[in-house]
Amino acid sequence: MRRWLAMRLCWLVLMLLGITFVTFVVLDLAPVDRAALEVARAAQTSPMPDAQSRDAAILRLRIRYGMVDEATLRPAPVLDRYLAWLGRAATGRFAGPNEDHAALWHRLGEALPVTALLGFLSLLVAFLVGMPLGVQMGMHPGGRCDRLVSPLLFAVGGVPEFLLATLLLLAFSGAYLQWLPANGLRSNGSEHWTFVEQVVDFGLHLCLPVAVMSVGPLVLVTRFLRASVARTLETPFAVNLRALGIEPSIVRRRLLVNACAPVVTLAGSLLLMLVGGSIVVENLFALDGLGHLLYSAVTRQDQAMVMALVIISSVATLFGLLASDLLYRLVDPRVRLSS
Amino acid sequence: MNAETPVHRMRDSSIPLVFAGFVLLVGLLAPLLANEVPIVARVGGRWYFPAVADCFGQPSAGPGDLAWKQWWSRLAADSPDFAIMPPWPYGPIETDSALFRAAPSVAHPLGNDDTGRDVLSRLVHGARTAVAIAAPAVLLAGLLGTLLGALAGFFRGWVDLVVLRLVELFLCFPTLLFLLFAAAFFGDSRGALILMMASMFWISFARIVRGELLSLREREFVLVARGLGVSEGRLLRRHLLPLAKGQIAVTAAFSMASAITTESTLSFLNLGPGSVSWGAMLRQGSQLAYLGAWHLWLFPALTIIAIVTCCHVLADRWRTPRPA
Repeated sequence: MRRWLAMRLCWLVLMLLGITFVTFVVLDLAPVDRAALEVARAAQTSPMPDAQSRDAAILRLRIRYGMVDEATLRPAPVLDRYLAWLGRAATGRFAGPNEDHAALWHRLGEALPVTALLGFLSLLVAFLVGMPLGVQMGMHPGGRCDRLVSPLLFAVGGVPEFLLATLLLLAFSGAYLQWLPANGLRSNGSEHWTFVEQVVDFGLHLCLPVAVMSVGPLVLVTRFLRASVARTLETPFAVNLRALGIEPSIVRRRLLVNACAPVVTLAGSLLLMLVGGSIVVENLFALDGLGHLLYSAVTRQDQAMVMALVIISSVATLFGLLASDLLYRLVDPRVRLSS
Repeated sequence: MNAETPVHRMRDSSIPLVFAGFVLLVGLLAPLLANEVPIVARVGGRWYFPAVADCFGQPSAGPGDLAWKQWWSRLAADSPDFAIMPPWPYGPIETDSALFRAAPSVAHPLGNDDTGRDVLSRLVHGARTAVAIAAPAVLLAGLLGTLLGALAGFFRGWVDLVVLRLVELFLCFPTLLFLLFAAAFFGDSRGALILMMASMFWISFARIVRGELLSLREREFVLVARGLGVSEGRLLRRHLLPLAKGQIAVTAAFSMASAITTESTLSFLNLGPGSVSWGAMLRQGSQLAYLGAWHLWLFPALTIIAIVTCCHVLADRWRTPRPA
């Protein structure tokens, strides 16, 4: 077990190196000059006197962002810059060599709780609704519940997130009904309200974003459980238990333990789904989470922030995968023994 | 099991396949189907094909100082000049100041947007954007994934090891995040976006094909073929890969759905490469919905849902063999 864990951790580090390298190279290939862009933006408010001072300003910014070497003033090879970036990143400094790291961390620190809360709540909803539903459907394949819900899941599963979010927004907090607030996490002026009112206000603001983000995981969990339960029903041990005339509630319990354990293997795909979902949902509902940070970083072509976010999301995914493997080994002795 | 659900009744109908083919065709021929420039025009003895030119780039400018449409509407009945307009003679960016946010009518069955552009024509050209991104991306991903998956599953050994590790690596990339910054940083480059999308989608092909080949290579007919002296390459090409065709088609249908979804998500977020896209239309429509312009969000939404569901139905149908 310990050896397995050590191997997995080594592999995790290698994967992280691979992901950051690919991302770094792709960002490097992009025909975008952040320094030139920023100088051009500054020039709009206070015009630069001449081309020479503009070039000097661009060069200063390039050195600041670590795009050119300070000594030779020429761009360093990609590999050198990646290694330099890696050295800085290892100590938590994701921005360029002379940039304000605290500001970047501050923005990340403010955004992370919002995304974590959204992700946690939508997973909670997905499991609370999806587990009983999937079990019910799997226990009686072709039954009334199955016949009713299966096509529904199929239909809803095909609707892209942004489309679902737009339709819900239009329906409940836009042109047609004004039942729920459309953006942010709290209403204007809510700081003067009583605690209970603030909690209710917060909950109302979370309704639509969580609803949209939980649909994908919900469909996945329900389908997975339905198939898993239906498969377990057919296994020899389940048939045997029933043939022995053991009380149905006990049979049911033994079945469910076996059928529900593999659900932990979904952790990786669920996390990836949430990363994608948070980008769309936070952008649409104006929530200041990581997805919104990414969108603004991308539109401002802030490569340091994009790299930091890629690392955060891939670390989350990698650890999610590791945790799901670990959990699976803990709950299912067969997996533990076979390897 | 549950033979009576609408989804399963859909299985045997030809609607999804016909619809998918229709959208593909519309996407390919969009400038010839809906445009404000004629397909063929004869002006003073010279022949012009502006709509055909639009398929490959910019249409040629109209005769004299006139736009093609003005010239066409002023054409005298007894003039030797003539033009054949596309079946839907409105362009995707042709504005009409008399029709700002006009509701659906007989002349414009899906209405007009806030600058009087025809919604039907924009939907047709949106199909072009979606097809131009999704089809090459899925094709490229399918070729790459099938090749690598087949090599890995058939030859095993170090090839398998390398491909598996690559698949694991790419599996951890958050697809939308990656494509988002690809779309933003490579600007309007359609090629870069297609490449990025292909590099995200090839893994599902590789996994499916590898899995199929792992079980196929143990079958007896492979042993017989080897005994008869069939070369490895021919065995893979002629005997094994055709058997994996069904699974590849299923993966292609799923990838097509997610490619179209991704393209419209990107354009919804104002980052897509095409100027006319379903996602962008939906965003615009939802922002104008409070003015009562329901047709501006409803029709793009229905189009996206229809095409994505259609891909899913096809994948579902091809995955499970038709009951005898």
